[in-house]
Amino acid sequence: MNMFLHELRVYRKSTLVWSISLMFLVVLFLLLFPSFSRDAEEFMQVLEGFPEELKRAVGLSIETLATLLGFFSYAFLYIKLGGAIQAMNLGISIVSKETREKTADFLLTKPVTRSQVFFSKLFAALTSLFLTNIAFFITVLAMSSWVNTESNNEKTLFLICSTLFFLQVIFLALGILTGIIFPGIKSVIAVSLGSVFAFFILGMISSSTEDKGLRYLTPFNYFDNQYIIKNLSYVAPFVWTGMFIVFGAIAAEMPIYQKRDVHAG
Amino acid sequence: MNVIEIKNLTKTYGKSRGIIDVSFNVEEGEIFGFIGPNGAGKSTTIRTLLSLIYPTSGSARIFGKDVIESTPEIKKHIGYLPAEVFYYDNMKVKDLLKYSASFYKKDCTARINELADLLELDLNKKIDDLSLGNKKKVGIVQGLLHEPKLFILDEPTSGLDPLMQQKFFELLERENKKGATILFSSHILSEVQRLCDRVAIIKEGRIVKVDKISTLKETTYKKFKLETTKTIDADYFSLPGVNQFEAEGNKVTFIYKGNINDILSKIAGIELSNLWIEEPDLEEIFMNYYKKEE
Amino acid sequence: MNIVTRELNGNRKSLIIWSVGVLFLIASGMGKYASMEGAGETINELMNEMPESLQAIMGTSGFDLSSALGYYGMLYLYLTVMTSIHAVMLGSGIIAKEERDKTAEFLLVKPVSRSVIITAKMAASLINILLLNAVAFLTSISFLQQYARGEEVFESVTQLMMGMFLLQVIFLVIGTAAAAVHQKAKKAGELSTGILLLAFVISVAINLNEKLEILKYATPFKYFEAGPIINGDGLDLTYLAISTILIILLIAVTYLFYEKKDMNI
Repeated sequence: MNMFLHELRVYRKSTLVWSISLMFLVVLFLLLFPSFSRDAEEFMQVLEGFPEELKRAVGLSIETLATLLGFFSYAFLYIKLGGAIQAMNLGISIVSKETREKTADFLLTKPVTRSQVFFSKLFAALTSLFLTNIAFFITVLAMSSWVNTESNNEKTLFLICSTLFFLQVIFLALGILTGIIFPGIKSVIAVSLGSVFAFFILGMISSSTEDKGLRYLTPFNYFDNQYIIKNLSYVAPFVWTGMFIVFGAIAAEMPIYQKRDVHAG
Repeated sequence: MNVIEIKNLTKTYGKSRGIIDVSFNVEEGEIFGFIGPNGAGKSTTIRTLLSLIYPTSGSARIFGKDVIESTPEIKKHIGYLPAEVFYYDNMKVKDLLKYSASFYKKDCTARINELADLLELDLNKKIDDLSLGNKKKVGIVQGLLHEPKLFILDEPTSGLDPLMQQKFFELLERENKKGATILFSSHILSEVQRLCDRVAIIKEGRIVKVDKISTLKETTYKKFKLETTKTIDADYFSLPGVNQFEAEGNKVTFIYKGNINDILSKIAGIELSNLWIEEPDLEEIFMNYYKKEE
Repeated sequence: MNIVTRELNGNRKSLIIWSVGVLFLIASGMGKYASMEGAGETINELMNEMPESLQAIMGTSGFDLSSALGYYGMLYLYLTVMTSIHAVMLGSGIIAKEERDKTAEFLLVKPVSRSVIITAKMAASLINILLLNAVAFLTSISFLQQYARGEEVFESVTQLMMGMFLLQVIFLVIGTAAAAVHQKAKKAGELSTGILLLAFVISVAINLNEKLEILKYATPFKYFEAGPIINGDGLDLTYLAISTILIILLIAVTYLFYEKKDMNI
């Protein structure tokens, strides 16, 4: 418990900064919605003249796009980008900082097992992400009821917003794995930013090609907002893949963390 | 000639104290000790000399040149060894030393090999894989390889085993005989006593004393140890100049600074069974300085 | 010269990784073009009808997607984001690492002035950036020529890469300035990343709403967009001027602040 609280305290400021940044993104994007919805309505009429297959080729179904949910789905992509950076950064940092800051001797000579250390860190990171998500979701609810003229669909919003947390957990697991395999990482943000953007760009490419194989490679595309809006559920194979990654990563991390030689200074 | 001249140097960090009004000189060819308890300001003074940090006020000159204005020229002739050495982890010892040598525009290969041999340092290892003591050796070679005229050593012996400390001191004495000046910061008084000619004592950011070690020991302080036949009053020796008074049964010890006749006439007034008058070791003198204002 | 060599060696591995990333991005992106050919004509027709904010959501902003070059223009956005991340990380890292790894005690007691150190580090960074730019240039040209079918691509790609180079330099000096100004070296990376992400978000928001046009000057990502360059308008002189001023200013900030900085070790 002391380790858990300690880690939470250490990451208090970063949790706060990330929460505020994500809230800022929500406010910024949703403020742009009213003018966008006017643009879109005009275009809807034009679009009706085009063949159905074309709409699919473009990748987004326009009917849903002009609604708040549709627009939010778009903005959500960038929120997911930010959230993923936060999670990966946190994951790498929380398990590698003992090596980086040469405090491994301090922590690991205390009467605790390494798995206690590991799970304290894991739960502290999860708690930090969870708090960010709560702050985020409240902002989304408040903003959407403010800018949306039609009735709000809270359930769909909730389903979409929850995917931020799932995505973050995946990236957290990937980050922890990275941090455990390469404890010597000196600049955490360089690694996390680079990898997350790589996945992000991969996701952009995959969603415009509708390449099924590629989609498994990038967690950004595991949760399809259009599908959620239509069906009020997630796509099963990708949920399994996501869970497989998370539990697979944790299963791989534990033994490495426990057996690793800890070097002084 | 003064190699280092420090004038009224002050460095404050926000509200917390760094160093206040520090002044002293180090003469050419001497080994100058710089001592004080942890956090007294030794490293702050040294880092200011190396212009790693900049003074809030005051100035310092090395080889007659201002440390801020002429920093590159001054540093050609400075060898610095910090308390904790940090290097580029992914380099081999050899490559780091070559990199270090490349700054001085002369061939140091022979000297590197000689020093590494002497200190039993493996040049082909990676810095990453070295123990604390071996990293320190890299630091020593690194600080000596360009035959500097001034050594600045900040608690240099930490991490070295006694044998290596011995070798290191011999190295320093050799360089000193060749004419090098040494500023030696430490809180280990025995090594200062062994090596240094003069010392500056720093306490809570201020210099409290600059003097020759011999002067400090001989002319000012005597350590008295008495065995009396009868127990004496605890305040019998409460006169100015008596410090660190301790009495245990018939045995009394104290350090005295002042007119020797005064204390002797006082002692003559009691019946002794035994008496020792000694030079106090440095440690006892410093305890005196450190404690004085408590 | 020795510092330059040392920095080039030290950054070699990361440069290789980034080069592979750039190569992969262009290769997979252009590979997607090959699979999309054919649908092009109708898409163009559709795009011309679309308001800008909608196009932004589609991620295609006015490109003639039926031509290889037009398609490449869309990819260019991601390419610039990637190389900018590389540049900002390189810039902040190359300055901050001496304090972060406490090697300032090594380097700064050598007989070189701080301005010489900065100059050497700047030179090494510029070489890194140029090499990454060259990788992007060569890969782009070779893929484009494969798909171009008679289109003249060389001049456009050259101009695009010049724009990207300026962007890289801007972010490089944002990084170096952040590292020189920030008292805590560890935080320099985070500060410069924050600036980059903010600039990116602003550029996305501008695409969504025309009223935000004025903010174009605030985000380098808007300085050299692919559209006008591909249409043959060349690099915008106003932005060239702003970039030059910005770069000179930030270089000056880097030198001035580093010169006066207390090494925090």
